Formats: sequence, structure tokens, C-alpha cells
Amino acid sequence: MKKHYLVEFSVRHPKLVVVIVALVTLGFLTQFPKIKTDTNPKNMLPPTSDVRVWNDEVDGTFGLYEDMIAVGIVSDEGVLNERTLGKVLRITDEVLRIEGVSARDVNGLSTITNVTAEAGALKVAPLMSEVPKTRAGMDDLRKDLFENPLFRGRVISDDGKTTAIYIPLEKGANGKTVADSIKEVVKREGGPERYYVAGDPVARDTFGSEMFKLMAVFAPIAGAIMLIARYLMFKDLFLSVTLMMDAMISIVWSMGLLIALGFPVHIMSSMAPVFLMAIATDSIHIFNEFYFRYREKRDKKAAIIETMHAVGRPVRYTALATAVGFGVLLFMDIVPVKVFGAVVAFGTVALRVLSFSFIPAMFTFVNEKNIEKIAAGEETSTGRTSGFLRGLAAIGAHSPRATALIGIVLFGISVFGISRIVVNNNMVEWFKQDSDIRTADSVLNTALGGTSLGYVVALSDEDEYIKTPEAMRRIEGLQRHLEKLPVVGKTSSVVDYVKRINRVLHDDDPKYDTVPSSKEEIGQYLFLFSMSAKPSDLDNVVDYPFRKANIWVQLKTWDVEAMRSVIRAVDEYKASNPGALAFKPAGIAYFNLVWNDEVLWDMLKGFAVALVVIFVILAFAFSSAKWAAVGYVPLLFTILLIYGAVGYMGKDFDMPIAVLSCLSLGMAVDFSIHFISRLRQRLSEGDQGGTPSSESLTDALLWTAARPGKGIMRNAVLFASAFSVMLFAPLTPYITVGAFIVSMMIFSAILTMICLPALIVLFRRRLFRG
Amino acid sequence: MLKYLILLMIAVLLPLNSFAVTPEEAMKNAQAAFLYQGKDFKARVVMRLIGKSGSERAREITMLRKNYGESGGDQKYFMYFYQPADVKNMAFMVYKYPGRDDDRWLFVPALNMVRRIAAQDRRSSFVGSDFTYEDISGRDIADDTHTIVKEEKLGEADCLVVKSTPKAGDTDYMHKLSWIDKKTFLPLKEEYYDKRGALYKVFTADEVKEIKGFPTVVKRTMKNLQSGHSTETTFTAIDYNIGIEDSLFTERYLKQPPRKWIE
Repeated sequence: MKKHYLVEFSVRHPKLVVVIVALVTLGFLTQFPKIKTDTNPKNMLPPTSDVRVWNDEVDGTFGLYEDMIAVGIVSDEGVLNERTLGKVLRITDEVLRIEGVSARDVNGLSTITNVTAEAGALKVAPLMSEVPKTRAGMDDLRKDLFENPLFRGRVISDDGKTTAIYIPLEKGANGKTVADSIKEVVKREGGPERYYVAGDPVARDTFGSEMFKLMAVFAPIAGAIMLIARYLMFKDLFLSVTLMMDAMISIVWSMGLLIALGFPVHIMSSMAPVFLMAIATDSIHIFNEFYFRYREKRDKKAAIIETMHAVGRPVRYTALATAVGFGVLLFMDIVPVKVFGAVVAFGTVALRVLSFSFIPAMFTFVNEKNIEKIAAGEETSTGRTSGFLRGLAAIGAHSPRATALIGIVLFGISVFGISRIVVNNNMVEWFKQDSDIRTADSVLNTALGGTSLGYVVALSDEDEYIKTPEAMRRIEGLQRHLEKLPVVGKTSSVVDYVKRINRVLHDDDPKYDTVPSSKEEIGQYLFLFSMSAKPSDLDNVVDYPFRKANIWVQLKTWDVEAMRSVIRAVDEYKASNPGALAFKPAGIAYFNLVWNDEVLWDMLKGFAVALVVIFVILAFAFSSAKWAAVGYVPLLFTILLIYGAVGYMGKDFDMPIAVLSCLSLGMAVDFSIHFISRLRQRLSEGDQGGTPSSESLTDALLWTAARPGKGIMRNAVLFASAFSVMLFAPLTPYITVGAFIVSMMIFSAILTMICLPALIVLFRRRLFRG
Repeated sequence: MLKYLILLMIAVLLPLNSFAVTPEEAMKNAQAAFLYQGKDFKARVVMRLIGKSGSERAREITMLRKNYGESGGDQKYFMYFYQPADVKNMAFMVYKYPGRDDDRWLFVPALNMVRRIAAQDRRSSFVGSDFTYEDISGRDIADDTHTIVKEEKLGEADCLVVKSTPKAGDTDYMHKLSWIDKKTFLPLKEEYYDKRGALYKVFTADEVKEIKGFPTVVKRTMKNLQSGHSTETTFTAIDYNIGIEDSLFTERYLKQPPRKWIE
């Protein structure tokens, strides 16, 4: 009864309540200037996580960079002409000056180390320090490029039309900022060459910053649409704004708290406002009921208190279910997931407190004449919407068996669809098909070895072991094995250098394009190479004591499955070619794989736990496991249908979908709570006791569908219309979110209206016994 | 009286004269003191290549040098490798000519073969260290424009600070600052600035000893601030004017170096 005390207090002292709420809100608002943002999805895994520590170790050992941008330059007449090469040279030179670029290790035609034999002399030098001015010079360059396996597929495509510059980034540099500077540089050079800037850091950092921008654009648009929709429903601007304020205040409170506690706003928590706005729509049930009650009572204050009596219980339980659904995330392993869960759970609780204080207080300020006018329209027996809703409920109530049968068939189809879902994440595919980033990626992946980079580190427990012919051959064998995979574009390792030098020292005789037979020879070749090459050339592929070697694996897709298939192939190779070397995956592609598995599975785990907890809450809400089971059906069904559809569309279960799973739980369960609570209330008002007759049950069901059902439908429509805006977003995750929420709302509302009556009629005797 | 006056004038003018050195002269003096001391020179050189994570690689060589002509003129270098172990017996020979590319030869013991090595880029790493070939054998003074930036004390030593900017844009740095000891003319510190104008490489002469009257840098470090990589070089068994014969610098001795120079 505490809540009702709060309602009565708020109705009696509305001004005081509004002032207190305003002050608290102001207090949280003062925290906002302290906001810190973190747009890097990488930070979903803390720097102390195993994969990041291992990757850092590998980066340190081999002097590697976490992130690399690839710039593709395409010329239809072939890049080997004076004009295009001049551009390549100038672009490379400009790129070296960009802040955040690790200049000494930029590799392109003009900087990559070339090992050749020239007039009997061994030459180790940058491939093209200036553009060849003569036919002969151009021919030499062509020969160098195409005969050297280290270059083909890396800095020159097989058709000679594409070249690339690989640009490693200093630690902490922002991929989008660097990519933007690079785009400026290539723009100055202009056509007819085409330029493509690709790579994971570009996608990642672009996505991070775009996501924040989109949140700033879409949250207000969604809010505005909700406001308009509400106005159309209730024809009262003041009340519509009140409902809106309810959401805004809870957003300010929860984000304020997050900021005050010193947490950075991560891409995950940046979505909290939109979620809270969605959850806030639940208070529409209060409005809905208020108008009905007012029509019956004609006394504002009494109507408010009665309304809160009627909807208090379901509103409390829906809030609890939502809060718990998100609160469960607190027990997950990934910190930003926890923070997100906590923020939304807190916001949900705040919303409910407001529902019982701020909203009743605001009701007292509404002009009675206005209410009267609108309330007149709220007639369950004549209203068109109500008529439609009664019709829906009648389908279930009159033909429960047929409804159940259709349900079972749909269930089977959905489960089959779900079995086809792949857990995968590909950040590049978060951009639309025709976006610059996707285009750049596909152009480079088609022409060259691939923009996604993984490593396979060969480990021995003996210094100098990598220099032995058996180690060399084993690494070479693995490279050939990996290159058989369709997703692998190219591999390179220290072996490629050794073979190259062997050949060059033997007068460029292709017969010597092999691993030498003695360790001394290999050691001396490598030393010879290190005498003039860039230090990083060798550092990138072997460690100092020659215990470890690093194999670069260029992948043609950012799908995490690609790296998984590489790891599988490595294991196969290990099994069929036993030897002293161990192999371990690393690199950004490997990181993405681990990230995918840990973050997504963590959320999936949270989702499963939330499913269980929500059932328990339902059981408490209805003080009956049987009713809980019935109320659970629309929720479960909605989720099955949506994921079934996801499976059939071949869409991956990725990060945005994972986040939405949680929301779907919190929302979809609301409708059943409202429906069942109000139905049982109605039945008890009729006060027959025991099992109601079929007729009275059907009557009560139709009433519930028409009256609280109108609230459910309004809630669903409001929600769906607001989120349909997202269908027009430029990033696919937003489109996914939009489509997901719109279909979830409509499904769960309709399923509640049809399934619940069918099930309740079907199980009438069991449900009402005792 | 006049004699004293002249002496006084000289005494007054002398320090002024030393101030009045042109930047080119300062660099020439430094080159002579650092790279052309004596008629010939011999040392056992140990390089420690230290990675960012602290891992180390070693290079150990005997280095023999002979001058032909004036300071800034031709030189011949002979280097014999002890470490790393698998390159023992490898030998490397350089004929250095000012104003044009070096000639380089390498003896590869595993192939029992002498190979000529084309050396176009003097800014490339010397045996994988942070020193470039140019840092080991010098850069033509005429390739840069030099200005004296300031004079300051570096530790105990009074130094001239000279800024050298390459005339052509083919270097990995935009300009270099050298601290040149006014007494010994040795460069005690060099700072390299990259094309963004940021300091990225620092050379320091960590220890200077006088050997046969020649001040010699016996310990030096080159540190790459961007990669975190550094190379510490120690010279021992240093000697000057030991009478290295011209015949040493031939292919024959590259394959089989004379015992008396290589112990």
C-alpha cells in the first residue's frame, strides 16, 4: 500500500512533488558536463583480458601494430604508368606526415623493401624511390613486382590495375580521423584513378562516432514522433508532454548517475536513452485507464486514485520484470554490458517511481473540460479500435483449438529457422552495401590479398630454432595449407624472405626459390637481409632470439568465421604434420573472433537467465505458476517468431541483435502482465468465485481486449511508429533495431490479444481451479 | 711594447676567432674528429640491439678503417663478424667515396662466395641496428645546409649546436641538430626530427676517451623514440695508425682475413 500512499500524497501536494522532481532532475543534469565517451567497441573487452594481453605481447615481440589502414589505388589502364605512379609516390609521402600514422612502417610501392640481383650485385632497397622515367625502367619495375611473391597480392593485383599502401597506426590513433586525412590527400590527387580507404580501424572508429551521432539524431526524432502520436491519441498537449517528460526525466536521472559515477558513456550505454524511452511508454496504461475512469466518475482526484488502484499492480510488475530483465546483465562478465544493464534497470525503477508520483501530480493540473471532451471518445462498445480488438480476442476465445494448432505449426517453423542462426559479427557489414567503407573493402578484397589481418605465431622452446630448415619447411607447409582456404587471400612469413634471398644470391635462378638445406645458410641469408632492409621487415616476422615466427594471414572478409576456419586449418595441419613448433592465433581478426564469442555469448547467457527470472516474476505477479505459464506464451512466441525470421533471412546473430534480445524480453512480457492482471481483476469484480462460466469468461476476455487492450495496442503502435524512423538510418544495425522493435511490438501485441484468450479458454478449468 | 700589444690583441681575438667558425667548418671539424681520426683505425665493436620490450640481439665485429686522402675524402672499411654465431666468419667491405655511392662486398661463408651488395640507400639500417650506414661512415657535408642555432653547455662541455637540413628530400628526417664539443670537435649529441617536425631519434656519445692522443667516442647510443628500439655500441681494443696495408681491402682477404687483424 506504500505506492498508493505515494499516489495520494502526490495528488494532495502536486506542486511539491513537481518541484522535488525538478530539483532532483536538475541535480543530475549538473553531472552532464563531466561526460566522457568511449566510442571504441574494442573496449568491450578490458585491456587486461587474455586476448588483449596476448595480442599486445605479440605486437611487442614482433614490433607490430594493432591497427592498419589499407589505401587502394585503382587505374583502369594499369597502375604502371608515370602519372599513376607519381600519384602513388606523392600520396605515400603525404600520408607519412599524417598525425597518428606510424611513418617508418608504411608499406607501398615507394617504401616496401625489395631484394633483387642487379648486375651481379645484391640489392636491398625500397622498390620504387622515384617514378621510372624510361620504358626500360618501367619494365624493370614490372618484372620486380610480378616476379616477387612478396609483392603480388599485396602491393600489386594480378591484373596490375590495383596497388595498395598499407598504413599502420600508432597506438591510440583514431582510425576515422586518420582515414579522413587520407581521403583529403587522395582527393587532391584526383582522377581518373579511383581511391579506396579500407580496414577495420576505419570501420570501427567510423561506426563508433556515427553511432553517437545517430543516437543524438534518432532519440529526439523518436521522441518527437511519440509525442505526436500521443497527441493524436489523447488530444491533449499537456498530457502528451507529461508522458514525454516522464521518459526524459528518467533518462536524465540514469545517464546523470552513470556520468556521476565516473563511467564513460560507451556505445552500449549510449543506447540506454532510446531503451528508456521505449520502456516509458508503459505509462500509457495509466492514461488509458484514467480516461475510462474519469468518464465513469467525473471526479479528477478520485479517478486518479482509482486508476492507480486498477493499474498499479500490473504497472509495478511490468516495471519489475523489465528492471530484472536488464538487471540480470549485472551478473555478466563484460563490464560495458553490466553498466548498460544497471543503467536501464535504474532508469526503469525511476520511471515507475515517477508513474506513481509525478504523473498523478501532473494529472491534477489538467483542465477538466479537456478531459471530459476526450473521455467522451473513450467508449469501449462503440470505438472502432476497441471493436477491432474485441474481434482479435474473439478469434482466440471462440476457436481456441484452431488457434493453438496454428500456433504449434508456427512454433515448429520458427524453431527450424532459429537452428539456422549463425553467431557472427562483421563490423564492415554494419555499413550499407553501397557505403564507401563496404565498397572499399570489397574492391581491395577482390583485387588483393585481403584487408583483414590475422597472425599465426609459431612458437618453439629453443633459441635459434626458427632458422633451422625443418622449422622453415613446417612454416612454409602451413602457409600453403592455409592458402587453400577460400577466405585466405595471402600469407607471408620469414620463409618468403629466405627463399627470395636464396634465389637472388643464385643469380635469380627460380630453381633456388626454396628453403636452403642448412641452418648456417638460412642464418646468413637473414643476416644479409637485415644488413640493409628496414629493421621492421625482419622484426615483423621473427623475434629476437629466433624462437618465434609470425605468419601474416590476410583474410578476404571481416567475418569472424574466417579466422575460425584459419584456426581449424592450423589444428588440422598440426595433427597431420607433428613437429616441434606450436602455433597460436593472434592479431585483430583473432581479437574480433574472441570479442564476438565473449561479448555475444555473454549477452546470450544474460538473455537466457533473464528468461528464467522473468518467469519467476510472472509467477509472483499472478501468484500462480499456471497463469505465469500462460502469460509467458506470447513473450516466448514473439521471440521465437522474430529469431526464426532472422534465421530464415540468413542474418547473423550479431551485436545489435544481441542487445535487442534483452529489450524484447522486458517489453513483450508487459502486455501479458497487463492483460492477465486486468482480466482477473475484472473477473473478481464480477465476484462469482471459483471457475467462471465459459460465457462470463468470454465476456471478460472481450472486455479486457477492448479496454486495457486499447492501452496495449496504443503502447505497441506508439512504440512501433517511433522506431520505424530507424528503418531509414544509414547504418544497418539501426535498421535492424528499427525492424526488430516494430515487428516485436506488433507481434507481441497481436499475440497477446489472440493467444491469451485462446489459452485461457482452453485451460479454463485448470487455471481457475483453487 | 708593441710585441705585448700584439700578444694582447691576439689573446683578445683568439676566443673571438673560435666563435667566428662557420657552421660548415664546425661540421667539417666534427667529421674529421669523429670519422677520420688518424691514418687508420681498428676497434672491436659490440652492438646491443635492444627492442621495446627489452629483448636483445648482439652484433660483434672487428672494424678496420683506412683513410685515403684528406678528411672528408675516400675511406675503406673492413668488418669481420663474430656474432651472431651463425654469421661467424662473415666479412664485409666498404669503399666509401664522397659524392657517390659506396661499393660494398660481402663474404657469405655458407656459400663460400663473395657477393657485391648494391648500396643505394645510406639511410638504411646498419646490420639491423638503429644506426644507419651514414651514421657509421658519415654523410657528405655538402648534402645539407648548416646553421649555428646556439651555443650551450652539454654536461661539462661547451658545445656549438648546428642545425643541418638536407638539401634533397630523400632522407627519413627533416633536419638534425648536432651538439659539437668546442674542444674535441666530437658530436656529443644529435637529434633527428621527422617530417612532422617531431623528435624521433637521438644519438648520444656516452663516453669519450683519449687514445693515442685522439679523443674517441668509445660508447654511443642511438635511440629511436618512436619504435622504442635502441642500439648501444661499445668500442674496445681501439688503436690508431697501426699501418693497415692496402691489400687487406681485397676479395681475397675478405674470404680469409689475416690473423694479425682478426683475433
